[in-house]
Amino acid sequence: MRKILAIATAVVADAIRRKVVWVVLVFAVFLGMSIPALPSYGVGVAASVFREVAIALIYSAALVVALALSATRIPTEVERRTVFNVVSRDVRRWQYVAGNWLGMFIVLGGVIALCTVATIAIGYFTMPGGEIMWRLLEAAFAVWLEAGVIMALAVMLSCSFGVITAVVGALAFTFVGHAVVTLLGLPEGVRVPWYFPSLDIFNVINPVALGTGYGPMYALSMVLAFCAWVALLLLGGSVLFGSRDL
Amino acid sequence: MAVSPESRISGREEPAPAILVEHARKDYGREAGGRREAVADVSISVSRGAIHGLLGPNGSGKTTTLKMLLGLVRPSAGRFEILGVSASAAGARARLGFLPEQPYFPSQLTAGEAMSLYGRLTGLRRSALAEQTADLLDRVGLDGRQKTLLSKFSRGMLQRLGLASALLGSPEVLVLDEPASGLDPVGQRDIRNLMLELKAQGVTILLSSHQLSEVETVSDEVTILNSGRVAARGHIDDLLNVAGETSIAARGAGELPVDVAGLVREVALHGSTSVFSVADEHVRRVVDLLDDGGWKLVSVSPKRDSLEDYFARLVSDSTQADNASEDEDAKGGDDR
Repeated sequence: MRKILAIATAVVADAIRRKVVWVVLVFAVFLGMSIPALPSYGVGVAASVFREVAIALIYSAALVVALALSATRIPTEVERRTVFNVVSRDVRRWQYVAGNWLGMFIVLGGVIALCTVATIAIGYFTMPGGEIMWRLLEAAFAVWLEAGVIMALAVMLSCSFGVITAVVGALAFTFVGHAVVTLLGLPEGVRVPWYFPSLDIFNVINPVALGTGYGPMYALSMVLAFCAWVALLLLGGSVLFGSRDL
Repeated sequence: MAVSPESRISGREEPAPAILVEHARKDYGREAGGRREAVADVSISVSRGAIHGLLGPNGSGKTTTLKMLLGLVRPSAGRFEILGVSASAAGARARLGFLPEQPYFPSQLTAGEAMSLYGRLTGLRRSALAEQTADLLDRVGLDGRQKTLLSKFSRGMLQRLGLASALLGSPEVLVLDEPASGLDPVGQRDIRNLMLELKAQGVTILLSSHQLSEVETVSDEVTILNSGRVAARGHIDDLLNVAGETSIAARGAGELPVDVAGLVREVALHGSTSVFSVADEHVRRVVDLLDDGGWKLVSVSPKRDSLEDYFARLVSDSTQADNASEDEDAKGGDDR
């Protein structure tokens, strides 16, 4: 675990000095400030509209950062040969893959936390009555978990393929993962095969936008689904990276 | 302690070599022109505490052999051991330091952060890491650069940092791939001195380099690769000393005595000094003749090739032999 943490720490130190993370963050805050200007805002459902748009904003920022970091990290390290200094030591390839993912997941958590705090603050200052929308933290947690899974898939693909393949693959996975319930709506009586990839468990827009939130058991089921997905995808990434000549 | 197979038979407990590579082979599958064999058959044994030079022209398989040893490339065949333990076993590379050719680092880290990363991967604890980082950066001439971003480092500074990171954890075995690359003459001298210092401390070094003078100065043994095979190997004196010949260096103002000309095989001029290559049985006679002719004797020593001459000759002979063999094969194929 020490080696994984050492790699993750270096990834965090490297990532927070990269411009892409800060550009996305500034852009997200800027967009957050424009939410009160939306046409449907202020017709009695202001709070739920605000929360729904804020979640979409946090999700978009998370997705951009997740893809920008995870699809490029390992291919760049291999191309620049910085990977030699790590894997030539007493470090297993799976530790390298896991350490990289963990570092990026931590950075992603930071970006999502800052975006969420910013949108809560914008809501507080622009909403009538100055409501603090704590429920957005619940949504941010779900977004963080889902983006972590997408990140793990991009890492897995980037262990063997190039950046473009990893980005396209991760976007396709995101689309398919939400296709059945969120995008198409599950028709009556139709059951999805167990192996069909679904990310719908992380979709908490409705309970958060309506202000009801989700309970601890649902949070636990999200965490379990997240762990299963990440373990599976990082295992695949480790196998692909382990069989690769550097 | 692991022992070599020979010592098991003889009953003596000799330590296994620091690095053992046996019949390494690497081919990269089918390419446009057929299967590409980067390494055909390479065996290297590096004695503990020695500096072993690994030489070869570009594309001879040096870097691929090192990469297979270090687990960066999967070998097609062969056995790789570090201090008697299989190189692929967990913990095998814990006692090894590696400096890649042109080391690259994450550019957004500082020198201190990079050393911290590699030190922690080597298994160093916090206090030892801080101590070693300061000591090693000072040793390679990067004192006071701990907080400098690596994107601000020059090529030579990155090379020095690479060496410092390879020395983290006080490894017993060092693999250096072109350590003097990108360094100025003073930096090259520093690296040479550092290697000799480490050798004196008992560290084993496998040195891959194109700088033949550097290899000749520091190495005890060399292995020369060509076309993915071992073209020559042995103790550097055994390879470079020319059997049966002696070099006589002398300075003279007058004509060369006539009798000397008939006994000398070759004369080379180094400034005002003439170096005569003489068969061992004629040494005393030539020395007497030069002395009688008023020449001042500078030195008498066994004749020794420079590593550069030896290397150039060997690679040329080896390449010609390969080409002849390929021609034979092609001819045989046509006949069939």
